[in-house]
Amino acid sequence: MGKLTDKVTKMEAEITSASMADIAFLLIIFFMVTTVFSATKGLDFKLPSDDQTPPTTEREEAVFFKVLEDGSFLMDGRPAVREDIIPYLAPKLERWPEKPIILYARRQAPYKAMVAVYDELQKTTLPPERGGLGLSKLPNISIPTNREIQQYIALFGVNPFEDR
Amino acid sequence: MAFIKRSKAIPANIPTASMADIAFLLIIFFMVTTKFDVDRTRVKLPKSTVRNEVPKGSAYVVVAKDTAGLFSYKFSDGEKMSRPVADVTLLEAEVNAVAARDPGKPFVIKAEADTPYEDIDTALDILRQAGVENVVLLTEQRTVNDVD
Repeated sequence: MGKLTDKVTKMEAEITSASMADIAFLLIIFFMVTTVFSATKGLDFKLPSDDQTPPTTEREEAVFFKVLEDGSFLMDGRPAVREDIIPYLAPKLERWPEKPIILYARRQAPYKAMVAVYDELQKTTLPPERGGLGLSKLPNISIPTNREIQQYIALFGVNPFEDR
Repeated sequence: MAFIKRSKAIPANIPTASMADIAFLLIIFFMVTTKFDVDRTRVKLPKSTVRNEVPKGSAYVVVAKDTAGLFSYKFSDGEKMSRPVADVTLLEAEVNAVAARDPGKPFVIKAEADTPYEDIDTALDILRQAGVENVVLLTEQRTVNDVD
């Protein structure tokens, strides 16, 4: 018969962490499936407060953009392209940063054309190396809504934005 | 003396302790860079150069083209998934309810690039009358090669 020795098997003190990875990967997959990358970006659009007296803009002094149904637009009555906007506005805004800009889109004009013009107007605040004018604040843009236009028509009988 | 082959058995295992660290790092990355999408409507967005981050929890007004080519509105209060709204009056009611509960609520207009402007105008007018001031027009990045 052999000797009876006190043989204690040494247990290593450890916390089992193998399942940790499983849990973690489960969570990763959950987040990957249920979420999207924060690619949601857009143009800031400040709505004026809804007061009953809309700010009156002297038509003659304002730069007037009219977006047409085919996606083109008129800048102060003349057909223009996107690239023309910044050079056209630069001297005017330099002289008077508060210069009003009216952006009027016809009812059937495509939304993207209006956004393209609005984007150029927003670009004025970008630094010059990014194609902007480096303005510290946005120019004074007003976008007449259809309700306002209807009010004008009721008042004057004509749409004041269509005659130029 | 006899040489006994005493190969010391090395347990065959892959160290998995760092696995959890890597995984948690990834989890945190996903948690920070992603947000829950309240609207999954597929929409061809207009393009713009200037793009700012949409505030978290914004309410959504979606103008999407259905299979018949008609434009219709969808609405989400920023928490629940977006649901179609049958007409403009219902949209107005939804917007008013959200704006009354949280006056500073940011809104997002997510609309098909080809939407006639009058539909956007209607939505903007509703938001304006509800007293909403912060609106973001959701856009896609314009690249140099984009012509329109």
